Parts: sequence; structure tokens; C-alpha cells
Amino acid sequence: MKKRVLSIVLGTAMAASVLAGCGSTDSAEPAATAAPADADTAATEAATDAATTAAEGNTETATTEAAADAEAGDIPGGRVYLLNFKPETDDAWQDLASTYNGMGGNVTVVTAADGQYATTLQSEMAKSEAPTIFNIGNSTDAQTWDDYTYDLKGSAVYDHVSDHSLDVLYNGKTAAIANCYEAYGIIYNKTILDAYCTLDGAKVASADEIQDFDTLKAVADDINSRVDELNEALAGTAFDGTVTEAFASAGLDDSSSWRFSGHLANFPLYYEFKDDGLEDLTAGEPEIKGTYLDQYQKVWDMYVADSAADPATLAGGTYNAEEELGLGEAVFYQNGDWEFSALTNPENGYIVTADDLDMMPIYFGVDDENEGLAVGTENHWAVNSKAAQEDIDASLYFLNWAITSDEGRDAIVNTMGLSAPFDTFTGDFAPANAFGAKAAVYTEAGKTSTAWSFNATPNVDDWRADVVSALTAYTDGSGDWDAVKDAFVTGWADQWRLAHAE
Amino acid sequence: MEKSIKRYWPLFVLPTMAAFAIGFIIPFGYGIFLSFCKFTTVVDWKWVGVQNYTKIFYVNGKLDTTFLHSLWYTALFTLVTVLVINLAAFGVAMALTKGIRGTNLFRTAFFLPNLIGGIVLSYIWLMIFNAFLNSYHKTIVSTQWYAFWGLVIVVCWQQIGYMMIIYIAGIQNIPADLIEAAKIDGANNRQMLRYVTIPQLAPTITICTFLTLTNGFKLFDQNLALTGGNPGKLSQLLALNIYDTMYGTTGWQGVGQAKAVIFFLLVAVISLLQNKLTRGKETEN
Repeated sequence: MKKRVLSIVLGTAMAASVLAGCGSTDSAEPAATAAPADADTAATEAATDAATTAAEGNTETATTEAAADAEAGDIPGGRVYLLNFKPETDDAWQDLASTYNGMGGNVTVVTAADGQYATTLQSEMAKSEAPTIFNIGNSTDAQTWDDYTYDLKGSAVYDHVSDHSLDVLYNGKTAAIANCYEAYGIIYNKTILDAYCTLDGAKVASADEIQDFDTLKAVADDINSRVDELNEALAGTAFDGTVTEAFASAGLDDSSSWRFSGHLANFPLYYEFKDDGLEDLTAGEPEIKGTYLDQYQKVWDMYVADSAADPATLAGGTYNAEEELGLGEAVFYQNGDWEFSALTNPENGYIVTADDLDMMPIYFGVDDENEGLAVGTENHWAVNSKAAQEDIDASLYFLNWAITSDEGRDAIVNTMGLSAPFDTFTGDFAPANAFGAKAAVYTEAGKTSTAWSFNATPNVDDWRADVVSALTAYTDGSGDWDAVKDAFVTGWADQWRLAHAE
Repeated sequence: MEKSIKRYWPLFVLPTMAAFAIGFIIPFGYGIFLSFCKFTTVVDWKWVGVQNYTKIFYVNGKLDTTFLHSLWYTALFTLVTVLVINLAAFGVAMALTKGIRGTNLFRTAFFLPNLIGGIVLSYIWLMIFNAFLNSYHKTIVSTQWYAFWGLVIVVCWQQIGYMMIIYIAGIQNIPADLIEAAKIDGANNRQMLRYVTIPQLAPTITICTFLTLTNGFKLFDQNLALTGGNPGKLSQLLALNIYDTMYGTTGWQGVGQAKAVIFFLLVAVISLLQNKLTRGKETEN
């Protein structure tokens, strides 16, 4: 009897695991089908919300008409439908739309659920009241939506763009313009670097003298070999005795490797695309030659050599580069403006403050005198060319209003917290993010922002995994640089063929 | 009474059958169908025939060994873990049925790792491994073999306790009179083990090998958290390889699905074979 009970128990366990076996791989599908439906409902809800807020806005106009802006009368009557890409900015856009509608506009803002933009756009575009303003991520998107993108060149909002390297060009037209941007480069600790400059025989007299790769490397080499002297020079500051290395660890684990397989790899791609005369530097080519990979190697070697991290264990995930800079251990750290809030957030317990932080371009040794920060985005406005001309005009007018009016600029900079690439964002509306602001400083000084050419990477995860794997082997000594080149160049062509095959 | 059951049985079976169909049969059939399609969302598909299956092995005009590599890597991993887990679990179970002091405490302690989720467990082990390997200038992902043995250790540590419980249940179910009779006949410990315990445990061995075998082939969490498939994709077990194909490669959802179908067939065939083999050794009493 006992045995029978046991065998029943065992039998049940077995059956359960067989079923679980079939289930785990295949039962994921129904969940996936449900998701787009959710997105639709979310979209509809958002639409209803917008409609109600719009209605409220209209009733308010009656009472505040006297206070209404003088330009209210100029607002064209066409229909504007903005399909918003960033869910976190939805509230701000809804408020902005109701303000605008209160002045006589006719704007609806709908925000697609996170990660569902492509499917939402596809279904919305099929409707009769289709979006008039939508988001284009990169030139692949521009290719997909080529029939729908209106040439923005010459419009008022286009003329306010301060950096046209962010435009998405396709098929001979300006298919979309960026509405915000992110910048990356080398974050550095000004206070420590200034202290270094006071040392005897320092390679530079001030941080501003670092204007090319060779100088940067000389300084980093020198700092790394004179850490003790530097710590003495820092006596009395917050960084007394904290410095251990020039560059923060170049971790090759998944949480950090994208800084090198994505952001640093951008430079050989960017300069090569530039050489090849690509109209849009973020569009990419089916095959690359790897002309500038030697320079990529030099920069990488510098990151590894001028750091305290053990080159053999970079892939282990034991390093935290952000912390190294935050605690004043490292002087340089390659990353982007999104790090600013993490580094200055008091909850993280870092000793660096906003005053210590600055950013310089990743001097790559190719065209250093003209190189600014690497600036790019996946957020571009495109206007639906299939909408009625009246609606197109209204949409362009609304976009221009959003970036020129006080309400719009305040919402974009302060409420949404974005760095906007328009010449109207000055004074009170300058980006609050010090790194983001630095990008503008470089462009104003006549430098060219490096475009995010890595946006063109085919099968991004696969390609990067292979590059990182080769880079890891090269760095721990078990592989050579040729394997990195191969992963970079041959891997690119292979993945391109896969990603662009029908 | 019996007559009405005979007449109305479809009515009684219906709820279960419906649930089973919705939960398993339909998604499973649809999954197989999708493996012959190119699709982005599951409702938006285009029939492409066996193209997905050829793409698994043959890409851009050359042989692609990623899937084959993860296939033999998984097979080897499963072989090692099945052996280690079952031998160790059996040994521990034997020791903990001898009535030594603190038996319950030991059983609980051995079973505990099972209560922690695979992801958390692997992150903890990742720290332990890397802290240890750091002094030798290595990491868990330095080569595929470090990753391999790391996975083996984590999975064994987690599953030995579970299998131990099943073995203990089995050992306690061996009829006392049988053991007594063997003792009276003068059987020594080795003979007891060889001729009484192991044959009596045959059903338990069947279930434990089955569980460890399928667990080995299906392992995902630990693989994802401990090695993430690094270095390169060399430590990707089958499940992670499928996941990676599905979500990592543009337009390859169908290929991922095709891999999943092959994966299912493989696990099904091996489990059935194993079941047949060990079942044959079971005795009726």
C-alpha cells in the first residue's frame, strides 16, 4: 500500500515535470498575443484622457481668454495627433497639449506602451485619423516609413535645430529631426585633474590642454604611475588619498561591455562612414573595412593599462566603474550624460559633487581638433506626409510652438528633463544636465558632434557579443587582436546580411 | 449510476480537456506551426516552409556551429549532473536514514538550497566563484570550462537536496520484513545494498534520473545568471541559445521557434528512452 502511495506521488511529480517541459517553451506565446491588445487599450485610454483634458482646456479658455497669448489667433485649425514615444513624458505632453488647445489648437497626444511603439504605430497609421507626428528611431525606421515621412527641410522647427548631425536623412529628404539627445564622452574629475596639473613635470598645465589622443594618453599614463604623488597633492580636498588609477575599470561583463562594443566602437564606424561619404552617418553600410581599428586598439589598450583593474578578470563582473569615479578612485570614466544624476545623487554615497564633474570627447586620434562629444538619440519627430496639408501645417506649427514658447520649453527641459537640440533652449531653458550642456559648449566652439553611427549595428546583441568575446580573449592574453578585427569586420558583414535579408 | 457515467462521461471530462487544450495542446500546436513561419508578433506570420530549420545550421553560405556547440555542451552538462546528483543524493539519503543524531536538521539543511530561486542562487555563487578565482587571475567566464564546472557546482548544490528527499522516501518504503529476512540470511552491508536496497529503489531511481535528466536539458535561470552564455556564446545551454535566437537576432523569431521544436523532440525522445530503460529494471512485489 505504502508503495502504491509513493508511486502515485512519484507519478504525479513526473507528469508535472513532463507538462512543465512542454509548457515552458511554448506557453509563452499566448502571453505575447495578449500584449498588443493591452497596448491598444492603453492607447485608447490615453486618447480618451487627452480628449477629456482637451475639453476641460476649452472650457477654461472662456474664462481666461483675456489673458490668452497674442499668438493664439495665429494657431492654424488643422488636426494634430502626436504619437509619443517616451512613456515617461506622457503627463507632460498631455498638459502641454491641453495648454495649447486652450489657446485654440486641436492637439491629441497618445503615448504607446513601453516597447510597443512599432506595433502601435503600425495599427494607428492604418486608421483614418492617423498620427500626424510620430517617432523615427533611426534610418531603418525611415526606410520602413519612407512613404509617410514629410520632408522637414525648410520648416520653422527645422530652422531652429542647432545640430543637424542628428537629423535622419533618407531618400534625399530630412525624414525626421531629433527632439532630444544624449551625449557621451569621457567623464573626468576636474578637481583631481587640476591637482595633477600642479605636480612637477605634469604633462599639461591645465585640463583644457588635453585636446587630442596623444596628450590624453600621456596624462593618463603619467597619473597612473604617479598615484602616490597625486594623492599627496590632493591633501586637504575630499579626494585625499582616494586616487588609485587614471581610468575606471573597463569591465567586459554584460553590464559594462556595451561602453566599448557600442560606444567606443562607434568611433571606427563613424570615421569610416564619414570617409565613405555616407549621407546619414547613422545609416550604416553592408560591409565595413575596419580602417580605424588600430586606433580603437590604442584607446582600448590605454583604458586597460591605465587602470588598477586586473586585465584578466575584466569579464567577471566584479568591477563597478561608476563607483570608482564616484569615490574619487578614478580620474577618467567613459560614459554618458545619463550618469550625471547617478553620480550626483546623494543616496549613492559618492564623494564627487556636480562641481567636480566634467566631460571631454573621447579623443580618438583621427580628427581630434574637430571632435565634439558623441551626441545622438533614438527620439526623432517625423511628420506624416499622407495627412491633409492643413494638418501637416498645424503639426509643424505645434512643434515649433513646443520649442519656442515658454510653456513648451519649460515642459521639455524641466518637466521632461530632456536636452533639446534647438537654438531656442538658452538662458533659463539651457539643459540642466552639466554633461548634456557640455555638448553644446563644444558645438558652439566649432566642433562637430560625433554621430551615433553605432545605431546602424546589425543584430546589435549578436554582433556585440562576438566583439566582446574576442576583446576579452585579447585582453586576458588568450587571444590576439586579429580575432577582434575579424569579429568586428567579418561579423558586421555577416550580421548585416542576416538582418537585412528578406 | 454506472450507466449514466457511461453516457455522460464527455461532460465530466470537458472542463479538464478544455483547460488542457487551451493551456497546452493549442499553444503547442501553434508553436510547431510558427516554426515554419517568419513572424514578428504571433498573429503576424508568413509561411516560409523549412527555411527556419535550415537556418539553424546553415547561415550566410557556411555552417553555423553555435547550435551544435550548445547541443553537445548541454548533453555533456546533463550527463555530468545526472551522475553527480544521483550518486551524491543517494549517498546522502543512505546516510540520513541510518538514524544518526540530527537527521532532521541535516535533511532540512540539504534541502534548503532548493528553496532559493535559480537566479538569486546563481548571483550569489557568481560572487563566490569570482572572489575565489580572482586570486588566480581568472573569472567564471574565462573559458567555457570554468563556466561549465561553475554551472555543474551550482546545479548540483541546488538539486542534490531535492533528489535526496525522493531517495529517502524510497528507502523508507523498503519493507522491513524484507530487510529482516536478508539479515537473518546473513547478508552483509554490500549484499544488502546490491540485492535489497537498489532493486527495491528502482522506481525511485527512474524518477530521479528522469528529473535530473530533463532539468539538465532545460536549465535556463542558472545559465543566464551565472555565465550569461559568456565567453562569446560558448557556455550557452540549449534553452538560453533558443532564447537568445528568439530575442537577440532580428527577424529570427521563427528560427528560435524551430530550435524550440527540435529541443522538444530531443528531450521527449531521450526521456522516453530513459524511462523505458530504467522501468525495465523495476520489480513488482
